[in-house]
Amino acid sequence: MKYEHCIRCTICVENCPVFRVNPEFPGPKQSGPDAQRFRSDRERAEDGWVLLCSQCKRCEMACPCGVEPAQIILNEQQRYGKEHPQTPAHLLFANNYYLSALGSLTAPIANMIASSKMGKKAFRAMGISTYIPFPKFHFRTMRREKKILNRKTRKVAFFYGCFINFYRPDIGRKIVRLLSALNVDVVLPPQWCCGLPALGNGNIALAKHFAQKNASSLSNYIDAGYDIVYTCTSCGLCLMHDYPGILKIPQGKKIAESSYDVHEYIIKLINEGYAKPVFGEVPRKIAYHIPCHLRALEIGYPAAKLMAAIPGLECEILDDACCGLSGSYGFKKENELTAIQMGNRAVSLIKKTKAENIVADCGSCRMQLSGLSGMTALDPAEILCEALDIKDQK
Amino acid sequence: MSVTEYDVVIIGAGVAGLTAGALLAERGFKVALVTQGEPTACLSTGCIDVCSRGSSPLSGIHDLPPEHPYHLVSEKIIRDALNYFQAAMTDMGIPYAGGAEENRFILSALGTLKTSCLVPSTMKEAPQDTKDSVHIITFKGLKDFYPGYIISRRRNTKSSVYDAGVYSTMSIASHFEEKEFFEKFIIWLEKLNIDEDKLAFPAVLGLESASEIVDTVSILIGKPVFEIPTIPPSMPGRRLFNGLKGYFHKKGGTLYWAWPVAGIEKTGKVIEAVTTPSEGRPNSINAKAFILSTGSFVGGGLTATRESIIENVFHLPVHISGPRETWFDSDYFSLNHGIGRAGIIADSTLRPAGSSWENIFVCGGILADTEILKNGCGHGLALATAHAAALSCAEYLSR
Repeated sequence: MKYEHCIRCTICVENCPVFRVNPEFPGPKQSGPDAQRFRSDRERAEDGWVLLCSQCKRCEMACPCGVEPAQIILNEQQRYGKEHPQTPAHLLFANNYYLSALGSLTAPIANMIASSKMGKKAFRAMGISTYIPFPKFHFRTMRREKKILNRKTRKVAFFYGCFINFYRPDIGRKIVRLLSALNVDVVLPPQWCCGLPALGNGNIALAKHFAQKNASSLSNYIDAGYDIVYTCTSCGLCLMHDYPGILKIPQGKKIAESSYDVHEYIIKLINEGYAKPVFGEVPRKIAYHIPCHLRALEIGYPAAKLMAAIPGLECEILDDACCGLSGSYGFKKENELTAIQMGNRAVSLIKKTKAENIVADCGSCRMQLSGLSGMTALDPAEILCEALDIKDQK
Repeated sequence: MSVTEYDVVIIGAGVAGLTAGALLAERGFKVALVTQGEPTACLSTGCIDVCSRGSSPLSGIHDLPPEHPYHLVSEKIIRDALNYFQAAMTDMGIPYAGGAEENRFILSALGTLKTSCLVPSTMKEAPQDTKDSVHIITFKGLKDFYPGYIISRRRNTKSSVYDAGVYSTMSIASHFEEKEFFEKFIIWLEKLNIDEDKLAFPAVLGLESASEIVDTVSILIGKPVFEIPTIPPSMPGRRLFNGLKGYFHKKGGTLYWAWPVAGIEKTGKVIEAVTTPSEGRPNSINAKAFILSTGSFVGGGLTATRESIIENVFHLPVHISGPRETWFDSDYFSLNHGIGRAGIIADSTLRPAGSSWENIFVCGGILADTEILKNGCGHGLALATAHAAALSCAEYLSR
């Protein structure tokens, strides 16, 4: 941890979306490098306010000196989580994978309960916020998808992530068809939650448990010549940075070397001359909200690059605002107001563009932005499918 | 179409880098900009100082010593650069007042008049002499601004304190963009019945729509309103960065965050790619040309060791006059510290002189002999040399 490199310029504070709206949070400089000088493993973790950080990593992107405030705070969140009793909301969201698996199995009933008045009351009693509708569970998850094996030269193992699997398997299926249309063989390897929700709720032991299971599954596929492709930018960030980093997964480096964002991968195929997609016209204006974790992946904005090649599509890039939901962060009652204020700012910037649709790579960004704006929010892959005329399969 | 193959890679996201990037993207080149973090422009007052050594920036430039990098750029390019900047920022909703013919003053947080050239429209009403009486509004608990400094220097100056309920520059600025807060504030302001000629604020009047907020307050109160730049976090500096970044995106440039350049790939006299450390695959970006706009010491372009000064990306030869003893003046506040002259010497094509690379162009604060503090020429020099470097680079690419 390079907290000594901090020159106290406050650029991170200016970039912190939480600090901007929540006076309770002292900001990344104070909770990160400043406070770190006074922390010791021999003392109890007492800074409860570190939990107010949403881990958007904007401070790390902005820091001109290479200090990683979010990483320092993440470590402290784990230490705090270990030493203090967890609230029901923290426990539930850390275990989101198991809950969602249950929700999907009982999809119609679970959805009914989640959207009923009683259900919402129960959520609030447990400290879960209900200002935007809880996403709908789907029975036909990605895990239930048949494996597609056509023996093409390029093969990828698709890490679809919990959001796609339990709530939007339709987008997952679209991405599989999109890659197949580019002559790529797609398989769906056995996979679990990436571990980020557990990490975000201060439960590093559970995060490690998930990460180890995923790592041994994915590394099998890598050894068999598969590239790993992810679509959720937060899962991706966890695979690329947290597996080799804070979680210290032995296969972490190998996984980080072979994992690609789906759009980054498509561009790689095009660059290598393997695929030559011809995009049809999509005459529309979209506001492309850049998820914080896409910025943090340090790969530029690959979907924007692809969408720029679609005739008729006008794409305005918005990378200044965090949507505020940050996975399970905004679903916790204590963060509700912060998340709404952050989200409203992002929405007001989107509305200024007068775009027809919102586009974002991250499922939870889409959920928040469409919930607060009433606009439709799409995955970039949906736009690409439209441009390539790839239809939904029933 | 490609993401790893660019025409130009620009290193550094400051005023120079973003301007050069927008200019090249506008000409149809594929441009990527890589940066370790946000630039020192965010910490600045947001004003464009062109040359503060007199009342006219252009004649000030004329009088600079012959080795000053301004002399690499023609007067026409300097004018074009300033016009281009003003048009771009107006386009992004952050208009700038002033022009190349004459310098103007802004009121500093210490109560002095600071010379600048192009100033954000929120500062254009700043008093140009000591005559105007000023009423300063400040905010309860705001640690970064003390009107007492100004009152002690200027006669006819008063101040009032408003309790915004929040105490940091950022939070107050974001509250000003909320209608409810704004209306409550205006009613409080109207009740003050201000007699003074002008109304001043620390620069916290919004982030995205500051110029509109200043105009609205001015209309509602019926007096000229202006902002006084504060120490970082500096809202006008951030507006400047956001405006240039937005314009760069608009012209089609691609930005890579958290991308400190750690290595280069080269063949013969040509740099082929820059690389960054990464947990995963080696992260490299190829291009036909590279523009170095990493700034000076604070910006991260140069590092001083006990023995020498190093240029961090390409290890270009750094010019510094004399041994370490001559780098500093004995007076701390002197403007003649030799270290202010350290940097890269460029030739008339903005290529680094005395190096064999043919596809590197240099602009902005990393240039040698700028003495930015002494000459008051930071952002202005960045704009002018960015233009010259972009033109030279475009010529190289179209060969």
